[in-house]
Amino acid sequence: MTKNSIRQTLALGKRSTLELFRQPALVVPSMIFPLFFSFLGNSSFGRTTSLPGFPKVSSYLQFQLAGTIVQGVLFGSVTGAAALATDIENGFFDRLLASPTSRTGILFGRLAGSVLFGAFSTAVFIFALLPFGADVSAGIRGIIAMIISGALISLAVGALMSSVALKTGSSEAVQGTFPLLFILLFFSSAFFPRETMSGIYATIAGFNPISHLVEGIRALSLDGFTASATARAVLVPLAIAIVALVIANSQLNKRLRSN
Amino acid sequence: MNTATQISTRAMIDEQDLHITTMRSAGQLIKRSLINTRRLPSAFIPTLAMPIFNMVSFSGTFFALTKLPGFPTDRSVNWFMPLGLAMGAAFSGVGLGFSLIRDLENGFYDRLRMSPTSRISLIVGPVLATWIRVTLVAIFVFIVGGLLGARPTAGVLSYVCSLVAALGISTIGAGWGLGLAFRFQDMRGAAIMQMSIFLTMFMSTAQVPLDVMTGWLHTVARVNPVTNIFRLSRSGWVNESSSGYMSWSNVYGGLIAIAVLSVLSLLFAVRSLQKIDK
Repeated sequence: MTKNSIRQTLALGKRSTLELFRQPALVVPSMIFPLFFSFLGNSSFGRTTSLPGFPKVSSYLQFQLAGTIVQGVLFGSVTGAAALATDIENGFFDRLLASPTSRTGILFGRLAGSVLFGAFSTAVFIFALLPFGADVSAGIRGIIAMIISGALISLAVGALMSSVALKTGSSEAVQGTFPLLFILLFFSSAFFPRETMSGIYATIAGFNPISHLVEGIRALSLDGFTASATARAVLVPLAIAIVALVIANSQLNKRLRSN
Repeated sequence: MNTATQISTRAMIDEQDLHITTMRSAGQLIKRSLINTRRLPSAFIPTLAMPIFNMVSFSGTFFALTKLPGFPTDRSVNWFMPLGLAMGAAFSGVGLGFSLIRDLENGFYDRLRMSPTSRISLIVGPVLATWIRVTLVAIFVFIVGGLLGARPTAGVLSYVCSLVAALGISTIGAGWGLGLAFRFQDMRGAAIMQMSIFLTMFMSTAQVPLDVMTGWLHTVARVNPVTNIFRLSRSGWVNESSSGYMSWSNVYGGLIAIAVLSVLSLLFAVRSLQKIDK
């Protein structure tokens, strides 16, 4: 990457970040709903923490923290990708192509906004739930690792959703993937441990990538700051992010060729 | 015939005509709604898929809940099937509000209001169409639930209670959705419809019984009338030994809640419609 393309990517990243923060109506629901579900779950499932197979936790909220983070980041990333689709729909994408802008900068600039928002919302979830019993055993180092993990998950999901945006050029199609994410979330270990599930549900949750994203962060929350917990929290989303970026880049190239 | 008698006879005929017109217009609106369901399956499929998804995912993910001491059933699908059905019914009702907003935006509703049709039919017709759709959804949910292992504990009454609860929830949702749509006349109303229904449903015994809840939710769910509707809906799906099992004391609260909330929400819809006319 040349100095110019870095500058252009940063400018586009700034634009996408400001866009998210200037339109709170777009992103606030992705923060309010996970928090609501956390408090609802804490009151509904607070007594389940003594069930066989449930990990040792100080409260259900401590167990739920990781699920809340992933839920919020997933929904926020859809909003970011939908904004890219809107750029395509309203012609801003074409204007960027007509200018001497770095092509990859268009994609990475957009993802930068999602990554920053992912890190921000992760921090908000941690500090909002901490006073109510969502302890982080890994301490401040763990919190930093969780924020990095949240940012990487945002990058991974944002890149996947951006592929949809680049392929279809339709914000409606991107929003249409929301139910799919919702299904993936509910068939994962985001709300209940895999050990308490049985049969086909346990198998699906085992294969579901969302389970692994959640369990990485959960390890930091429950097991403390260990090398394996940190590696799970950071390396799993990083690996998914790399694959997702390759897919997104290939979709970008296809769109550029078709233009 | 003196003038007073003439006026009285005329009023009677008008009233009869009005009744016929209302039913005829309502019938046409039901027909339109059902044709739309057939022509636009993409609008109906989410209503059908949502309860199934809720039932399948919740009963699988939260299967371990049934191991809690005192949980009223040992089959998680028995507990979550009524929830799925209730959610489908609620969103089917509220969905009327979405359709109305579309009709208001594209001018179809103005044409309806200009026609010599009774105002009440504009509410009765869509609500009756929703009942038909919810009944179809309920049959589908009962079949899939049965395949997943749901077993009634009170025979046919189990299905009847769940269906009555679903129809009641759809009526409440419809009144609320139509009222908000008449008030806002744009998609701002849609967000409020979804959010309010979602919060009201989940701040009840939607997920777990009162005995299992702790903290603030227990306090809220205890006074939330939707809790009574869930008690009615689940009375034929919990164990016979459970305190929530089919009995008049577990049913009447739900029926009263449905009656009162339906009347209030439909009145809200009628008043909001009158406001548009003014």
